[in-house]
Amino acid sequence: MNALTKRRSLIVLLVLVAITLGYLALDSAADNGSAYRASTAVTVIAICLALIKVRLIFREFMQVKNAPTVLRRLTDLWVLLIGATLLGSYFLGLAVH
Amino acid sequence: MSGWRNDPKRELWLAWYAMIAFYNIFVIVFFFMTHAQPPPYPFWSDGQVVHWFNGNHNALLIGFGIVFATAALTLPANALIAYSMRRMSVSRAFAYCYLVIYSLSALPGMLLLCVVLSVGAMRPDRDPAQLHWLYDFAFLSYVGTMGIFLIGSLVWMLAILLDKNRVLPKWFGYLNLCNALTEVVVSPAWIFHQGVLDWNGLISWWINMVVFGIYTSAFMMLLRQMIQREDFGDGPLPDLPKTPKAPRAKAKVTALTGTGTGTPR
Amino acid sequence: MTGMAPAPQPETDAPKPAGHIPGQPDMWVLVLFEALVFTAYFAVYLFHRSASSELFLRSQADLNPWLGTLDTVLLLTSSMFMLRCVQAARAGAVRTAMTNVCLTAALGVAFLASKITEWILLTRDGHGFTSNEFFLYYFFLTGIHLLHLLIGFITLGVIIYQLRNPKRRSQEIVETCATYWHTVDLLWILIFSLLYVVR
Repeated sequence: MNALTKRRSLIVLLVLVAITLGYLALDSAADNGSAYRASTAVTVIAICLALIKVRLIFREFMQVKNAPTVLRRLTDLWVLLIGATLLGSYFLGLAVH
Repeated sequence: MSGWRNDPKRELWLAWYAMIAFYNIFVIVFFFMTHAQPPPYPFWSDGQVVHWFNGNHNALLIGFGIVFATAALTLPANALIAYSMRRMSVSRAFAYCYLVIYSLSALPGMLLLCVVLSVGAMRPDRDPAQLHWLYDFAFLSYVGTMGIFLIGSLVWMLAILLDKNRVLPKWFGYLNLCNALTEVVVSPAWIFHQGVLDWNGLISWWINMVVFGIYTSAFMMLLRQMIQREDFGDGPLPDLPKTPKAPRAKAKVTALTGTGTGTPR
Repeated sequence: MTGMAPAPQPETDAPKPAGHIPGQPDMWVLVLFEALVFTAYFAVYLFHRSASSELFLRSQADLNPWLGTLDTVLLLTSSMFMLRCVQAARAGAVRTAMTNVCLTAALGVAFLASKITEWILLTRDGHGFTSNEFFLYYFFLTGIHLLHLLIGFITLGVIIYQLRNPKRRSQEIVETCATYWHTVDLLWILIFSLLYVVR
């Protein structure tokens, strides 16, 4: 393990932490100090950001970027599947209720 | 006929077919005849419970009668699973542990529900409060006694992960963990009378059933492969014999790519 | 080895064949399967959320987003150290690998402490598993995740056991356990966004 790989893992961590802190900014902008209000925009953005983090973790921390094509495609498919399911169930819930 | 009589794998195949037979009977009786699965609602009133018993009266008595007569089919099924652990390089204690656990598990885990619901169906003019009591007792015992199944799954998982004889693939060892976790997920059924975590809940029953269904299908297929591969030795189990078509396809690929790997990179 | 893909990129460490599956491929079956099971739970939560939107929002306001953020940062950092452990072990730097896996474990313990603290604070305010529908999902999801974390500690133990004994050491097992640990982190990322952040 050399300095370059150490630096790369730290950069990835900082990006992930930044997105996490971004959540706080997102929520405080949406709530604006008052009671929480339902917001489709916030929900969709939150889910998409989570998926970006998940893909980063797959690629970098779980080393899928160095894995065979099959695993890379499979994990990408999983991110899409999770995203579709989450967004789908959210919008379905909105439509039904 | 003489081939069957002399086949050393005869008992293994009998056990496997007994397992298939049991699960088929289980599905038909529980899902289609008695409608005990998916379980009816925990939040029903006395009147609704009585209505359910009356609506399923004959099915309950006949269906569970069939289960009482055929429940012993679980014995060779469990024995086959224990056999898989005996064939592994791990201690025989794993197999014995599993056998004890699962032999006992069917009592509260399945038969108790059958007995109690049959008792309920036997006298339709029972006090509704009593019928409701029997109804709760039956379904909670069925859903709630998950500790033994959980430990059993973990025993099998550990055996598979430690095994050097490649009897069952490691991914199935991990699937045992998933199955064990479903037993934890079902435990809130003792607390909730409605919602996603009650004994009929979207999470504690429906999603759990999907996981259990995948798990059960997996081990039926894998045990079949195990019997096909069995060489009655002590060392690693050989792979399944390759089908005769494979060498021709391989030769074709080799001719096309010239490397024998067939991968475009 | 001739005719295979070009040499690894400079940022990777000790050379390994291109297209290397981290750990046992079997562990990936568990990772992907559990991800689907949890996604199913999340789908149920998101679907029911809009049925009682007011209740969910009100209850969500009782959660502490800073604690949730701290939890996320703790697990993300633990994942980074886990990656470094794997890389060090692959390069043969056992002491470095050992240090990194211990850091991973320490951060995992910190997460455990933080989660339990949060649970205690919530229950002291009168919010329990059976309080309302939102807290049902909250305690259920964080609870089942915590169970996965506890199993993660076992896998960390396996890594430490592997690293200690040069005869027993297996890079594949180290990577397999690391893959599991990252899954714990991955699941938390999703749980955090759905319980704390969505509106």
